[in-house]
Amino acid sequence: MEWDWERLKKRQESKKVPDLQDFMKNMGSFKAKLPGGTFGFIVALALLIWAYTCVYTIKPDEVGVIQRFGKFVRLSQPGLNFKLPSGIEKVTKVKTKYVFKEEFGFRTIEPGIRTTYATKGAFEAEALMLTGDLNVAVVPWVVQYRVADPSNYLFKVHNVRATLRDLSEATMRLVVGDRNINEVISKREEISREAMDVLQKELDKAETGIKIVTIEMKRTNVPEPVQPSFNEVNQALQEKERTIYQAKEEYNKAIPAARGQAEKIVSEAEGYALERVNKARGDVSRFMAIYKEYTKAPEVTKKRLYFETISDVMEKAKSKVLIDDELKGLLPVWDLSKSKGKEDQK
Amino acid sequence: MKLKIVLSLIILLGLLAYDGSFIVDETEQVVITQFGKPIGDPIREPGLYFKLPFVQKANFFPKNILAWDGDPGQIPTLDKTYIWVDTFARWYIKDPLKFLQTVNNVTNALARLDDILDSAVRNLVTSYPLLETVRNSNRTMEMDIESKEAIEVPQMGQIELGRSKITEMVYNQAYPKLEQYGIHLVDVKFKRINYVEEVQKSVYARMIAERKQMAEKFRSEGVGEANKIQGQKEKELKEIISDANRKAQEIKGKADAEAAKIYAEAYSLNPEFYAFLKGLEVLKTSVDPETQLLLSTKAEVFKHIRGQEK
Repeated sequence: MEWDWERLKKRQESKKVPDLQDFMKNMGSFKAKLPGGTFGFIVALALLIWAYTCVYTIKPDEVGVIQRFGKFVRLSQPGLNFKLPSGIEKVTKVKTKYVFKEEFGFRTIEPGIRTTYATKGAFEAEALMLTGDLNVAVVPWVVQYRVADPSNYLFKVHNVRATLRDLSEATMRLVVGDRNINEVISKREEISREAMDVLQKELDKAETGIKIVTIEMKRTNVPEPVQPSFNEVNQALQEKERTIYQAKEEYNKAIPAARGQAEKIVSEAEGYALERVNKARGDVSRFMAIYKEYTKAPEVTKKRLYFETISDVMEKAKSKVLIDDELKGLLPVWDLSKSKGKEDQK
Repeated sequence: MKLKIVLSLIILLGLLAYDGSFIVDETEQVVITQFGKPIGDPIREPGLYFKLPFVQKANFFPKNILAWDGDPGQIPTLDKTYIWVDTFARWYIKDPLKFLQTVNNVTNALARLDDILDSAVRNLVTSYPLLETVRNSNRTMEMDIESKEAIEVPQMGQIELGRSKITEMVYNQAYPKLEQYGIHLVDVKFKRINYVEEVQKSVYARMIAERKQMAEKFRSEGVGEANKIQGQKEKELKEIISDANRKAQEIKGKADAEAAKIYAEAYSLNPEFYAFLKGLEVLKTSVDPETQLLLSTKAEVFKHIRGQEK
């Protein structure tokens, strides 16, 4: 198809290109052969060019809208097509498969792996809107659409693109106006779905012939001057969690340690108990053993024990003083304070 | 010579045919006038039409829907908040004859639309509180859980009309006025509503204050929660330690009692002998190498010796 087209074009060019003088000269040689002479030739040429306007091609993503004397008569599909010549029928090609895009609140400067956007100035105003709780939000979005009905698209509305932009803005504000700032920030999907419904209805009502493919919400936010305070809330939330976490950590540290200490206290008490009872048992066994001997010969045993103890005591003591009761009037001189010193002098 | 006459005749005929016919596009409509006076009904259907050349004139008007974009202006609402309102409307020429007679062309028509729509918008926006133009329904707005805890959900007043109703009222006010120009108003919508700069500043300040309050609340909630945990910790610590001490005392007490029982059982066999033994023990343990003993000859040790002497 392309090839034919190119050839046709070339042929047409080769007809036009020769300069006027050549043309006139040729004209002269032809003049005699053609019926009607120069005039006839011009008419024939004009007719040829006119006939050429009967052929046209439609690209795969397009549809041709044919109007005969201004009146819409038919659509033509991709490929080589024919129509009545120019002046009678007119073809307008409309891209019906191509997905068009309208951006609100920003513009793509340079698409790519890392697309750059412009968001300042006039675009900012597009995205600035009032929320239902009378706060201000920044809501950028993208509308993707294609032409579903080419004849409506061409004939029913003047400047469809501007209409689409106006309606999109009005619709988005209508939807956002019924939501508070938190919803606008967190429920983008819900908003885009509702906006899409409302907008499609409006576009159908206006017979724009446009079908919305998708409404994509970009990052919704609060205006720049307010952003730090919104971040602060998030920080405070984290701070809150951190404070609680720290307290829990301390709790988790202290409680098991205390439980250990408690066990220690109890164990120690148990140890004490064991010791105490065992000592009692031991003491009692010893007593019982002695007592057994004692019952066999009470007096002797008692005396023996007495003397044993006294001798032990005597042995251990440093000095002994014996006082006879018979020595009356004798005041024993016993210098308590000096007794130690005397001992040392010796 | 003959050829020239034929040629000029053809040219003349061509000119007549050119001016005697016209094509009406799908997007157009035509009123034919003869020396300025409208002739016949307006042509609404697209196609090829004929008229008297030179005498009659075809006046083309758009038939499709046209846009009107209002000049954004500052309007105070009933609650004295100044807002910028950007309005747009869509319209088409319903009666081209009337349109031709009253406004003549689209540019003039847009000027009329400016007058009528701007004042209608102004009338209605000033007659209602801001909320009425912002909200569209009394849909309950969900607060996320975090902020529900943090701040009291601001009790937004209920609206009576809402944005759609207000624009409808603008439409109703403007529609009959435009009809006299042959203009059919399709709809009127608010494209943008924003606070004027000074109001915006105070709204931002309010938003910031609101969030700060929220942040403060979160922080103190955190501290409160931490204190609660700390209190719990102290309580549990005391509980654990005191419980252990109590248990320890119980165990010790039991052991003491047991020991006492053991001692009592054995010693009650002969309390005197026990006292004797204990006495000896005390004597033994109370003497150390530094002790000085002062003994009477009447002491038990010597009693026996003395007894033998006698």
